[in-house]
Amino acid sequence: MIFTTNDTAPMQPTIMPLGDGALLVRFGATLSGAANRAAIAFARSLAELPLAGIVETVPNLVSVLLRYDPRMVQLEQLSGELRLRLYAGDNATLPPASHHTIAVTFGGEAGPDFDAVAALLQLTPAAFTGAHNASALRVLATGFAPGFVYCGFHPPELHLPRRAEVRAAVPAGSVLFAAGQTAIAATAIPTGWHVIGSTTFRNFDPRATPPTQMRAGDTIRFVPAS
Amino acid sequence: MSASLLIRRVGPLTTIQDAGRFGMLAHGISASGPMDQAAYNLAGRLAVAPPGAIEITTAGLDFDVETGPCVMGFAGGAFTVRHNGKPVAWPGTLALDADDTISVSPGANGNYGYLRFDGRIDVPAVMGSIATNSRARLGGLEGRALVASDRIGLIDGYAPELASASAPVAEGPIRVIWGLHADLFPTARDRFVSTPFRISSRLDRMGVRLEDPAGVFTDSAILSLVSDAVLPGDIQILGDGTPIVLMRDHQPIGGYPRIATIVGADLDRFAQLRPGTAVRFRTVTLEHAR
Repeated sequence: MIFTTNDTAPMQPTIMPLGDGALLVRFGATLSGAANRAAIAFARSLAELPLAGIVETVPNLVSVLLRYDPRMVQLEQLSGELRLRLYAGDNATLPPASHHTIAVTFGGEAGPDFDAVAALLQLTPAAFTGAHNASALRVLATGFAPGFVYCGFHPPELHLPRRAEVRAAVPAGSVLFAAGQTAIAATAIPTGWHVIGSTTFRNFDPRATPPTQMRAGDTIRFVPAS
Repeated sequence: MSASLLIRRVGPLTTIQDAGRFGMLAHGISASGPMDQAAYNLAGRLAVAPPGAIEITTAGLDFDVETGPCVMGFAGGAFTVRHNGKPVAWPGTLALDADDTISVSPGANGNYGYLRFDGRIDVPAVMGSIATNSRARLGGLEGRALVASDRIGLIDGYAPELASASAPVAEGPIRVIWGLHADLFPTARDRFVSTPFRISSRLDRMGVRLEDPAGVFTDSAILSLVSDAVLPGDIQILGDGTPIVLMRDHQPIGGYPRIATIVGADLDRFAQLRPGTAVRFRTVTLEHAR
């Protein structure tokens, strides 16, 4: 069972140009489990059965980015073919995905915000770790930084806003927590999310093909590092 | 045959680029590539060069040819180039031999120039490209900008990159297509296309901040938006009202509202605008973007 948040039906998908060589198919204006699932499913269906002229397909939190070659296909024609796909497809169902188990060291030097987060949630440290790891999450999106993944959603009682202060850099492997999600940084990044732990897992190897292992739609379970 | 160059003096943010590392957005890697693609292509035609260039910035570059010979093509903006102390016309082509010295110094206009060679720049490809990504710190020479005392090896025997001549550079306002969140700026929207902005001194391969002397976006409310895909040319409005144009080393995902996107054909000349230059925008429909 994957917990979701704001799980209303996705809005009618909209197709919008993004400059003159790309478009976005958007399934919502706000983040919801339904819009996220629809975006991932639509991106997967395009990857399985590509449309001519599309050179890159990227699922985002609630949309799919399509870069196209304007010499091969015009926006109007491409939009028409996408609408046919959107009406024909059942975009609410996710195809089977890979599962990942990620060992995390919570708190201490690895997670400077862990104690404060547990206190804000009115949980003991052990209870917060247990609640955090209780359910499998879905990789909602990738791409913010090399190998970075957003995973969600936690149940509403674990939702916290981001920190007021942005840290200029947190190290690779940082496990981040905010907005009903847990994220994993594969490289050093600036972030306003709470740093609750760290993992030795790195979802980025520039020498590997492909350079990352996690895809949007994969399932993920966090376990305490032994 | 091969050649080797020894960098003697180098301006900041000088990097090795090729056409770009495309197809990696889902992995969190923007494509990078030349800030001025047309100039990169012209320098390549002048040298009959395989993929790869040294992208120089306003301060220029001095180097010695340690071993040679090699052919160098150069283009982009208007720099001053000296071959063994003697001025040479820019853009152009030079046949270089061992012990030659090249000095490229600032010229009349432009932020980026391209030096391309008939040999392949000897750095390892990362994910299929030698382009330096200054955000992800990969590609090029150890993922970093060039520094004095770096050596650049050039290897012969690689096929030239075929790039067709670009359309003539357009003049007048920079053309844009309305962006994802243009409707969220009901009052600023009209003023955006009727008001001049200015290129600020805060510019790099990731983005160019604009000055907004008329205060078009000063009172824009800070909006909470779901993060979405970003591409080069996107004009996003930061929380304090600063417009920033995202460039080749852009973040792949952004959460700030975007009013418009510069069309592909005008991004090269936008990249070459120096700090202090006034810039106007004009909206076009997609049919007229090319």
